[in-house]
Amino acid sequence: MLAVTAYPIGYAVYLSLRRSDLRFPNAAHFIGFANYTTVLSSPYWWHALGVTLLITVVSVGLELGLGMALALVMHRTIWGRGAVRTAILIPYALVTVVAAFSWAYAWTPGIGYLAALLPGGRAPLTQTWPAIGLIILAEVWKTTPFMALLLLAGLVLVPESLLSAAGIDGASAWQRFRRVTLPLMTPAIVVALLFRSLDAFRIFDNIYIMTGGSHGTGSVSILGYDNLFTALNLGVGSAISVLVFVVAALIAFVFIRFLGAAAPGSTGERDA
Amino acid sequence: MRAARRTVGWSAANVLVLLWTLFPVWWILALSFKSPAEIGTDGGRLWPRHWTLGNYAGIFRTSEFLHALLNSIGIALIATAIAVSLATMAAYAITRLRFPGKRWFIGLSLLVAMFPQISLVSPLFDIERGIGIFNTWVGLIVPYMTFSLPLGIYILSAFFREMPWELEKAAQMDGATPFQAFIRVIAPLAMPAIVTTAILVFIFCWNDFLFAISLTSTQRARTVPAAIAFFTGSSQFQQPIGSIAAAAVVITIPVVLFVLLFQRRIISGLTAGAVKG
Amino acid sequence: MVALGFAGWLVTSCGAQSAGGGPVTLNLYALPDPGGAFQQVVDDCTVHAGGRYRIRYHKLPTSADGQRRQLVFRLAAHDASMDILGTDITWTAEFAEAGWLEPWPRDLAAQVARGTLASAMETGTWRGRLYAVPFVTNVQLLWYRSDLVPEPPRTWDEMIAMAERLAREGKPHYIEIQGAQYEGATVWFNTLVHSAGGAILTSDAREPALGPPARRALETMKRLATSPAADPSLSNQMENETRLSMEAGRAAFELNWPFVWPSMQQDRPTVDGVALWKVFRWAPYPAMDPNRPAHVTTGGLNLAVSRYTRHAALAFDAARCMRNHHSQHIAAVRGGYSPTLEDFYLHPDSVFAAKFPFYREVYAQLQAATNRPKTPAYQSMSIVISHAVSPPAAIDPRATLEQLRTGIRDALASRGLVP
Repeated sequence: MLAVTAYPIGYAVYLSLRRSDLRFPNAAHFIGFANYTTVLSSPYWWHALGVTLLITVVSVGLELGLGMALALVMHRTIWGRGAVRTAILIPYALVTVVAAFSWAYAWTPGIGYLAALLPGGRAPLTQTWPAIGLIILAEVWKTTPFMALLLLAGLVLVPESLLSAAGIDGASAWQRFRRVTLPLMTPAIVVALLFRSLDAFRIFDNIYIMTGGSHGTGSVSILGYDNLFTALNLGVGSAISVLVFVVAALIAFVFIRFLGAAAPGSTGERDA
Repeated sequence: MRAARRTVGWSAANVLVLLWTLFPVWWILALSFKSPAEIGTDGGRLWPRHWTLGNYAGIFRTSEFLHALLNSIGIALIATAIAVSLATMAAYAITRLRFPGKRWFIGLSLLVAMFPQISLVSPLFDIERGIGIFNTWVGLIVPYMTFSLPLGIYILSAFFREMPWELEKAAQMDGATPFQAFIRVIAPLAMPAIVTTAILVFIFCWNDFLFAISLTSTQRARTVPAAIAFFTGSSQFQQPIGSIAAAAVVITIPVVLFVLLFQRRIISGLTAGAVKG
Repeated sequence: MVALGFAGWLVTSCGAQSAGGGPVTLNLYALPDPGGAFQQVVDDCTVHAGGRYRIRYHKLPTSADGQRRQLVFRLAAHDASMDILGTDITWTAEFAEAGWLEPWPRDLAAQVARGTLASAMETGTWRGRLYAVPFVTNVQLLWYRSDLVPEPPRTWDEMIAMAERLAREGKPHYIEIQGAQYEGATVWFNTLVHSAGGAILTSDAREPALGPPARRALETMKRLATSPAADPSLSNQMENETRLSMEAGRAAFELNWPFVWPSMQQDRPTVDGVALWKVFRWAPYPAMDPNRPAHVTTGGLNLAVSRYTRHAALAFDAARCMRNHHSQHIAAVRGGYSPTLEDFYLHPDSVFAAKFPFYREVYAQLQAATNRPKTPAYQSMSIVISHAVSPPAAIDPRATLEQLRTGIRDALASRGLVP
């Protein structure tokens, strides 16, 4: 397994150290870190990285809030639990491209029901910030269920007895949630955040379909793709690929080292 | 009185959740039943004025979509089959054997599954062109393995930790070889976990877009998500919204079926091992 | 299910091979033509070949960018199963420089040049050799509503003034043009720069030229975008959106390719009691200066022979057939594509004239037309341009000009990233 992953990554590093253009394969040669200098000195890279991190932070933050609410509904609702749980899996299982088309058309003036609610033919997907907002919305819609399920798994571990004991001591519902439920759920929350942050950081499909990365909405994955397949620059494209990989590794490292995310699978023998 | 209010409250919450999750699905469904003339002139009605099957007839008339559908089904099934069999063996070994760095290995395998696909696209594109598997089924199955295999190992080893391994010992004491013990006793017990893993891996492969548009160039290996993005309209300058919507609905059907049939399993698979006390 | 999947695999992989025996199969890869004109051209040429070869037409994706990506993927892999390529007129330099196209033998090139529009021939030529023969060409016209505008504007200034007057009167007044961040915005910019007497690149295509004409082009784009004449969706508008806006009755003017004409005649929209298709008219593209006609950017499709084909001689022959008078007539009448043979415009037959009532204006514009810059770095350069000029409302003429200058310079040297 490591071979199938490690070899391509190693090969990407090799490509990234070369001047390599798909159109001129014979002119390829070793150029050291020049491709990295090119990428790191380009405002496009930093903009794309900023956009990607913004999307990651905002969408994961929103998902945490919404996911918690959703998990509580699934956990506590009086009837229709099965229906809710089934419905919630639909966004998760839906092909991302399908969901992205649905959102894209909904916001396209003249075609979509959501665009029709906006004043005067506005095309929100063509303005940088509104478009990023809508991309985040699509991302949140798609992945909140996953977050909610991870949180639900943590929620069911909270002993009912503790909660009712706190209730008898006069704690309000909110206090019970903050003082009892939340601390017990922290490990589940951190793991869920780790998963989703890594997943959000590699966002591609939603942006590709909804804006194509135009108007400053491109993520680092989109930037890498465009430099590979539109500019046909294998060297620079690979340098971007490697940098994206490094940033993702950093995110994982920070979570595991500083937030104490149990490196998944590493502790405990008990399962939810 | 209080109970009634609570029921109403939770019902409202339920309805809200259902609306939020199902609305975008309904919208693309509604879009797929509108005629091309209606799309773009009806101001985005959520209920088609005239229902038509024209878009569905349209996509099934050309080979483009049928090919893509076959590719999607074939590639996802093969990748799933290989990934799940290998993952089962690996997870079995991991659970049963004690070796240094075992936990580290499981953790790493999950992180690999979460890594950015773009990091693999440029090397794979070059490698696959070199060895001639660019734009073939194999060319897509390989990268799917790199993501689905770790995912499978991770989920299955979480399940396997829970297995009653004493039974295996009992069978061996009754004279069965370790292999027989595995096949007769453990495999049937592990079946639900394997099915769950298979569903999740299948959904992953079915979903993929980035590899599908980067490592294919014709309908020979192009899967549906990529094919949809390349659908051609009725003029050179037009996106065929109705056809895209219809194709989108068609590839949504299997995942909806999975969800309806295996809701419990998918949830247990998704959360397997994610939470540990 | 697995068996089914495998069966599909076998079928597809066999389909990709040419059948043994019988005539050679030549594979044509070109943009998708939904109307069936290309298919008929291909079929007729197969008959014409009398058993020497048959041509199979494979459709590429809709967007030019997607088409280019598919072709490049396979050319870079030295794919021998592509024989004839339908190449966008802006790809010639890049593909030729990469060594992916077979240069046309000089005698054939001379034959092709006879009777073909000079602007079209120019698009297929790189460093003095012909790499792609002109098949169809294209040029934008001004489309307007005669109920709102009795006399069409001759310049951009006039057009914007008219639109603003209509806005004050509360009538439909938008000027529809392609302002989205894609090739269309580059086309718009290129037309304005040339119409103002300038160019994007110097004549040797090594340096950005730009200068005052580019500055004026940017100012004009900005002026339109910030005036009431602009559709609020301007930065989202591509060819099809502009067409739909006109058919929905929101616009008074539209700058677009002639495909809008048959569409209007077919859809026959009536808005607020006005039968739009009866008042839909065309006129030459507005100029930048009253005394100098507009130099409009051409579009179009050429036919090239792949360097990796095993049947170069037959492929040249087939490509010539596909762009002869008979084929171009089919493309024009059935598909609405403007011919590249001058004869059509000089001696139009009745079928052609009925289908192309605007052929005189098209011909006049083609003679004064301009091409997009010819350089192997065209793609990267065009991305730089479309990102600089779209959204048009955000143009700051001085800063944008500087951004264009450095961006184009980097693109030409294939330095830096594409956005």
